[in-house]
Amino acid sequence: MTLDLTLHDWRLMERVVGLIGRLGCAYTRLDVRAERDRYRASLDLVGTPDALRRLDAQLTRLCNDDKEMSR
Amino acid sequence: MLESGLSTGARLVLDLLADEGVETIFGYPGGAIMPLYDALLEHPLGHVLTRHEQGAAFAAGGYARSTGRVGVCVATSGPGATNLITGLLDAQMDSVPIVAITGQVRTTVMGTDAFQEADVTSIAGPVTKRSVCVRDAADLERTLRAAFRVARGPRPGPVLVDIPTDILKAVVPELTRRAPDAWEAAGGRPSGAGEARPSGAALDAAIALLRGARRPVAIAGGGVRSAGATQLFRELCARLELPHVATINALGCATPGDPRFLGMLGMHGPKAANLAVAEADVLLALGMRFDDRVTGRPDRFARKARIVHADIDPSEIGKIVPVEVALPGDLRATLALLLERLRGASHVPVFNGWAEEARAQASPLPADRVPAGVLSATGVLDRFFALLPPGAIVATDVGQHQMWAAQRQRALDPRDFLTSAGLGSMGFGLPAAIGAQLAHPERCVVAIAGDGGFQMTSSELATLRRYDLPVKILLIDNRRLGMVRQWQELFYDKRYSATDLSDNPDFVAIARAYGLRAEFVAEPSDLDAALTRMLASREAMLLHCACFPAENCWPLIPPGASAEETLGPAACAATPLEPAAREATPLEPAAVVAETVYA
Repeated sequence: MTLDLTLHDWRLMERVVGLIGRLGCAYTRLDVRAERDRYRASLDLVGTPDALRRLDAQLTRLCNDDKEMSR
Repeated sequence: MLESGLSTGARLVLDLLADEGVETIFGYPGGAIMPLYDALLEHPLGHVLTRHEQGAAFAAGGYARSTGRVGVCVATSGPGATNLITGLLDAQMDSVPIVAITGQVRTTVMGTDAFQEADVTSIAGPVTKRSVCVRDAADLERTLRAAFRVARGPRPGPVLVDIPTDILKAVVPELTRRAPDAWEAAGGRPSGAGEARPSGAALDAAIALLRGARRPVAIAGGGVRSAGATQLFRELCARLELPHVATINALGCATPGDPRFLGMLGMHGPKAANLAVAEADVLLALGMRFDDRVTGRPDRFARKARIVHADIDPSEIGKIVPVEVALPGDLRATLALLLERLRGASHVPVFNGWAEEARAQASPLPADRVPAGVLSATGVLDRFFALLPPGAIVATDVGQHQMWAAQRQRALDPRDFLTSAGLGSMGFGLPAAIGAQLAHPERCVVAIAGDGGFQMTSSELATLRRYDLPVKILLIDNRRLGMVRQWQELFYDKRYSATDLSDNPDFVAIARAYGLRAEFVAEPSDLDAALTRMLASREAMLLHCACFPAENCWPLIPPGASAEETLGPAACAATPLEPAAREATPLEPAAVVAETVYA
């Protein structure tokens, strides 16, 4: 699964990586790029379908809170 | 003296808290947070000095749980900040809005292992919604405003803001007062929650499922409480004559006395509640997250049911169990829309027959074997809840007494029963009751604690004394870590490892040493009078109940099992009571004197 994230606080990558491990997934590619006031992260992930689905949902929630926090 | 229009970072923090509607903060000072405490001397904001930072976090949680408002706790850097972590995770697990403010070493020495330095933003990351460090004074106001928005919702939770000492000391422009926001306009609902609504098609699909159902059951979760949707939940259940159950975080959501309410769902829930869900053909799951203590084995949970799941957090939908109809959005809006559709419908199903059938499964809670003449914890709690005035707030600690209390509570509102549900953190009860009592000075607030959990935060007795808080403490002392002991009996071949607390201290003497009123009771015949005195007390009072050590909590669905595999006292019927339990010697504290007030 490829996941593209927008982060306003680059330190959140620590949480992203932590969650990947917590859910028993792994990343096989991780690119992070700075773009003015935000960061674009792109990840290739491996894991069970259930774990990847939960990870996707949790990362979406994390990014939503990050977006609100940056407002 | 600062020029007009200027402030310090510390003063700005306090002004902003007041501007966000905060009246009281809970905290403990230390080096890095000293500028804030210095500014507090001239600030009208109330501060409660707890005796441990964990007490501050739990007290903020109790305040928030009982009001729906954001609870605020404050600690210094390093150990002060790390001591907040358990309370923050507790809030995260139960979706409780908290803003934690921690001092940090000055920015110029961050990263050098300075005295009392801890990377608390990283440590707190997994236990909060967001955890940030303010490294520029210009960001202080914006960051704190955002922290309150994020803490409030849409799904509430904790946010930590770490502020280095030099930022607290920095000269900054005075606070910009905010206009009342949508949160206030909505009567304290989570910010942004009202905007999220499920689609009309999804609502129609949910109604269609209900129409075709023969055995539907509604489950209220903590989201009903967070969304302020209790009345709508009650209305929906009444309209459809729908059998309903509640997770532990939603106890109090049901209309008091409604016979269609079957009780708490899950591991220690009554048989009728769990069997109804096991038999249901449609589940209306509202603001709950299918915790493993509710589902047991997810693949065997409610196998006959098609599930409608409504939740403000889309990441919860489909996380544990497959869902047929997803209703992501604000629960209050969702329930209002469902009711609106039902009102306009030509045919509205009612399920009174099924409700009666489900109710017929109800039976008295199974009692465990307790020798005659000895207090049983369940007997104490039966009498306690019978004597408790309506409208009282009860905060429990964690363990057997928590489950016994959850089975017996009669809360009129879900904000009246406070418990560490998701995290199950011992030590929660007393400080949470302190937070609730400060928020509701006119109400009766009782902390129920076991002898294990009580000793984790018993230093907060000093907080009761200092602020003259009339919190009552019902101490259920079985001289065991009872829940762990029970599991050792059932699942570890009666190998009792590290669960014996028979060398407990004299709790009455401890309470009196703090200047509090305290009593001891061991005789069943003395119980009612002692409970009555405690509940009538105008000041804080501890009632130490010496209970039978080997009483177990029933019913019990073993971990990973299903409702059909519920255990009762028969699971231990062939087991002789353990020797220590058989002795059942009532405790004899050094000074057992009824109704003695420390002078």
